[in-house]
Amino acid sequence: MTRRTHAALAAALAATLTLGLGACKNDKSDSGGDAAPSSTKGPGAESGSVVGGTPAKGGTLTVLTNQDFAHLDPARNWVVPHMDFGTRLLYRTLTTFKAEPGAAGSEIVPDLATDLGKSSEGGKVWTFTLKDGLKYEDGSPIKSADIKYNVERSFSPDLTGGPDYAQQYLAGGESYKGPLTGEHLASIETPDEKTIVFHLKRPVAEFSDTVTLPTFSPVPQSQEKGTQYDSRPFSSGPYKIEAYDRGKQLVLVRNTNWDPATDTVRKAYPDKVVVTQGIKGGQADDRIIASDGADANAINMPWMQHETVAKVLPKADVKSRMVAERTGCTDMLYLNTAKAPFDDPKVREAMMWAVDREAQVTAFGGPAVTDVATSFLPPSLTGGATSDPLKIPAAGDPEKAKALLKEAGRTDLKVALTVSLGDKTRAEAIQQSLAKAGVQVTVNTTDPSAFADTVGDIKNAPELTINGWCPDYPSGATFLPFLFDGRTIKEKGNQGNYSQFRDQATMDRMDQIAAMTDVAEANKAWQQLDQDLMKKAPAVPLMWQRRPLLVGTNVAGAFGNSGYAGMIDLAVVGLKDPAKGKG
Amino acid sequence: MILYLGRRLLGVAGILLAICAITFTIFYLLPNDPAAAACGKTCSPERLADVKAAMGLDKPVWDQFLAYLGGIFAGRDYGSGPSAVHCGFPCLGYSYEYGLPVWDLLTDRLPVSVSLALGAAALWLVLGLGAGVTSALRKGRPLDRTLMVVSVGTASLPVYFTSIMLIWGVVRTAGLLPYPAYHQFTENPFAWASNLLLPWTALALLYAAMYARQSRNSMIEAMSEPYIRTARAKGLPARTVTVKHGLRAGMTPILTIFGMDLGGLLAGAVITESIFGLPGVGRLFYDGLGRSDQPVILGVTLLAAFFIVAANLLVDLLYAFVDPRVRY
Amino acid sequence: MSTTTEPSAVADAPAAGAKAGVEAGAGRGPWRLVWDQLWAKGSARFGLITVGVLLLAAALAGPLSSLGGWTPEEFDKRAVDAYLGGLPRGDFGGISARHWLGVEPITGRDLFARVLHGGQVSLLIAFTATAVVVVAGTLAGIAAGYFGGRTDTLLSRLMDLTMSFPSLIFMIAMMSVAKDVNRILLITLVIGLFTWPGIARVVRGQTLSLKHREYVEAAKVGGARSWRILTREILPNVSGPIIAYTTLLIPGMIATEAALSYLGVGVRPPTPSWGQMIAESIVHYETDPTYFLIPTAFLFLAVLAFTLLGDALRDILDPRGGRS
Repeated sequence: MTRRTHAALAAALAATLTLGLGACKNDKSDSGGDAAPSSTKGPGAESGSVVGGTPAKGGTLTVLTNQDFAHLDPARNWVVPHMDFGTRLLYRTLTTFKAEPGAAGSEIVPDLATDLGKSSEGGKVWTFTLKDGLKYEDGSPIKSADIKYNVERSFSPDLTGGPDYAQQYLAGGESYKGPLTGEHLASIETPDEKTIVFHLKRPVAEFSDTVTLPTFSPVPQSQEKGTQYDSRPFSSGPYKIEAYDRGKQLVLVRNTNWDPATDTVRKAYPDKVVVTQGIKGGQADDRIIASDGADANAINMPWMQHETVAKVLPKADVKSRMVAERTGCTDMLYLNTAKAPFDDPKVREAMMWAVDREAQVTAFGGPAVTDVATSFLPPSLTGGATSDPLKIPAAGDPEKAKALLKEAGRTDLKVALTVSLGDKTRAEAIQQSLAKAGVQVTVNTTDPSAFADTVGDIKNAPELTINGWCPDYPSGATFLPFLFDGRTIKEKGNQGNYSQFRDQATMDRMDQIAAMTDVAEANKAWQQLDQDLMKKAPAVPLMWQRRPLLVGTNVAGAFGNSGYAGMIDLAVVGLKDPAKGKG
Repeated sequence: MILYLGRRLLGVAGILLAICAITFTIFYLLPNDPAAAACGKTCSPERLADVKAAMGLDKPVWDQFLAYLGGIFAGRDYGSGPSAVHCGFPCLGYSYEYGLPVWDLLTDRLPVSVSLALGAAALWLVLGLGAGVTSALRKGRPLDRTLMVVSVGTASLPVYFTSIMLIWGVVRTAGLLPYPAYHQFTENPFAWASNLLLPWTALALLYAAMYARQSRNSMIEAMSEPYIRTARAKGLPARTVTVKHGLRAGMTPILTIFGMDLGGLLAGAVITESIFGLPGVGRLFYDGLGRSDQPVILGVTLLAAFFIVAANLLVDLLYAFVDPRVRY
Repeated sequence: MSTTTEPSAVADAPAAGAKAGVEAGAGRGPWRLVWDQLWAKGSARFGLITVGVLLLAAALAGPLSSLGGWTPEEFDKRAVDAYLGGLPRGDFGGISARHWLGVEPITGRDLFARVLHGGQVSLLIAFTATAVVVVAGTLAGIAAGYFGGRTDTLLSRLMDLTMSFPSLIFMIAMMSVAKDVNRILLITLVIGLFTWPGIARVVRGQTLSLKHREYVEAAKVGGARSWRILTREILPNVSGPIIAYTTLLIPGMIATEAALSYLGVGVRPPTPSWGQMIAESIVHYETDPTYFLIPTAFLFLAVLAFTLLGDALRDILDPRGGRS
């Protein structure tokens, strides 16, 4: 997932100018909570729960949001809440996530394709066949060439912001500049109207996951409107755009040409979806809590503010309408191992003990919506059980940290911590807890849009930074190598391995695990590596976030889908009573 | 008069041109790259260069500026080939974030901001001038003191505090009004007014308080002018003196301030619009900041400057009618 | 702060720190008179005392908050309830003997310490921005008024141009696109950039009317240089209105800083300022109203006090402004 996390994170941050949370795909299992230390078990909503029972067909679902969509053009849509919206309501992709609560949500199923794709040449060639009877909103058939066309569009320099997996994976993608110039990409073949073949640069075993991305949805060339396609994507999903007044309101109505028989995932309960934009986050929460009139049918986007937790928890009826699915991401404090003082493992170990993770959790809404992290791999990647190799108290142990620092001979440390503006409370919490261990931290906040550049410039990288990582699909292979493989370090625009951790033993082990053919064995090996890495302490795991979401009194079938980082699954959400809340 | 008008119009054009140039230069010089923002975080250097070229940001600032100016009068095309988009007169740039010409975005949002500004202005003029003139005529009496205490207090409250308190009191607690949403006047005048009532009040309270203080001072000053004494000495009724002479002279300085204030507000009240969730120009601007949408930021700035300059011009022309001392 | 604009008055600012601006160059007749008049007026006295207290509190933020036992950055986990989204424990935002004004939700940081340090930043910005404005405005105004001709035309056009800028919108835009620079310095300069023409116009008008007075003419005939005439004859005589105008500028500056910080483009955390504190507290206005009301009350008091003081000073020093 790697890049996507950052793009999504940055975009979400930039879009809201306020609090930022990681946004990404994940797999999670709801049993993780049982193994967690009791202090981390919150009184909030458990993951895997569904609010409101099974919806009835009909009515108008309201989405209250603070901002306009970053992009609805499927070639440009790369922000998780908006990907949820686009791929669940407006356009279909070759494969997609199951619409199920809990761990099942991150399993993929065929969508436009008849199966999850067939690979050949050792995973370098992928072939998908389209289902029969697929139609666009105007009744015209969906052809494989249209998917090729949209993938090509994602290469266009005019159509910015979208996922770049196609550019990464497809052969001959380096010099291609999109179809608007009239050129086409030879590495995507459409031998007939139902078949599409992708030729990749290198084997990509998880390409079936990759094609869940909006890049792999159909756009007919006849509908091409360049940058203006963003305002009126042509529907292949259950809804089509009736009106879109940018920054104000988006109204979706049923796409009568969408055939539910071809779609095993989307239920499309409401007749209409109205997105009201420009509502301050806190106000959206307040309106949903009150659920007056039309607000009874409302859900919020992107998510509930953490400050609202205090309004929700004391009221049982409101609390029962809160969803808090795990995002599947791990938030970490990266220690820059390339320079002093964190080139010394002893000093790094001291940081493990010094950080007060409880304060981190409090800063993110408290134990009700966030869990203390005890390893790099989130529970979703460790078989549901929480791995806690170091057994450090959640609040840290400054005395032990001090002792370790003394052993290392570094007693008066002064370090800099750079975070994105939205993370400043967490940074201040780090500053406080390290101060107790005698480490003086200077906090620098950067603009969200400048954050990646600032910490990604390895020459000027700060000693400390905070960021999160989310796996793309349930495998340690999408996690640890991106974080701690020294070969991924780049001079500029460095991502993931912010610790600049170069450890030969770790890299060798990663290569060995990657070569394993037995998935179960590999997973076990990743978990062992995770524990080893905890001892080497290139970073301090801070917390496993959950995504707090609140729905109106008349909303049914609402749950966080772990495939969309815990966002409400829009494919199956609906209303209890469609006649209610018209107002 | 016509000569004067011509000279002023020329001046207006000059000022707008200067503002345009300065704004453009500042945005160009600042370390902020809209291409990088649009391209996303995983942007490779090659792709960034392509995006820059596609957005026309690879040319020297001078060329960009001339193209921008040319676009205002003649329209222009963005991009090339089949992806090109035409941005017609008056082209204030093209927002790649919205995929729309800035002018279209502005005209779409303008009714909201104008509704907000005009309604609030009407309210604050009535409240502010009413209180100010009453105070001035009862100078030193308890009513004057009370009004002035209230107005200096109100003027010291930040508009976001007033707004939040209004929402809390009227909407959250009493449930008298819904959360404001914009309705078009032409479609439903009642919904238009009832939804704008809170934002109007929030804005108007602040301005009314300032206007009360200013108009009181101005009025007191006017009433102490020699010609008022002359008028009184002539034996004119007190009412005539106050209304015909005092009010006229006293309101003249207020007119200048009013022109500036209204001009500034027409292009959007950033804080009020964002608190009340009104989709006006101010919020377009604020959203534009979050998205590094420079064409929108530049466009709103220019529109706001235009309104201020135009309001000033209008006020100067109005002087001729209001203040008998002004002659061209 | 404002005294820095007055070369003749800087030398002996009196001990009464808070009233420095007013009493500058005091001890002599006219200033004593001003002081007496101010003190005689109820609203001005209130303003004077409040301003004095606030300035003192801001200046002594460090020692005062250590009196309370907390630094502005110090977390107090015990003061907040993690299971309630980090709300302060206890009524009224956790006001207690431990935390005199309660605590910030989530972090448990001491509000008393924070609001004092926030005031330091807010007032520092307000004063330095005012200083920038007054220096620039006075220089431009005197130059335009005294030299006339081309200088006047040029400066007046510049004033017109600056006043035509949509200042708030432009300030927000500049503050938001300029990244990673000293925010306090930037905010000061940006506010200053758009506020100087107001005072420049006042000074220009005053200078114009003074220019042809007998004593100025006499000095000219006597062969005095422009510089000498400006500093010895003109400046002292325009200082009254400048002081009054300056005091009235300050509340606007405080409010502008607060508005910019409220919009998230002003002072950046971890530096607290009143505006930034209000911006952070606004999401808690219902669950923890105390947290929201405390910085707002300080902001309100500061703006109110400076306005009252400025009003009174204007009445005394620049009687055309409304006192007959």
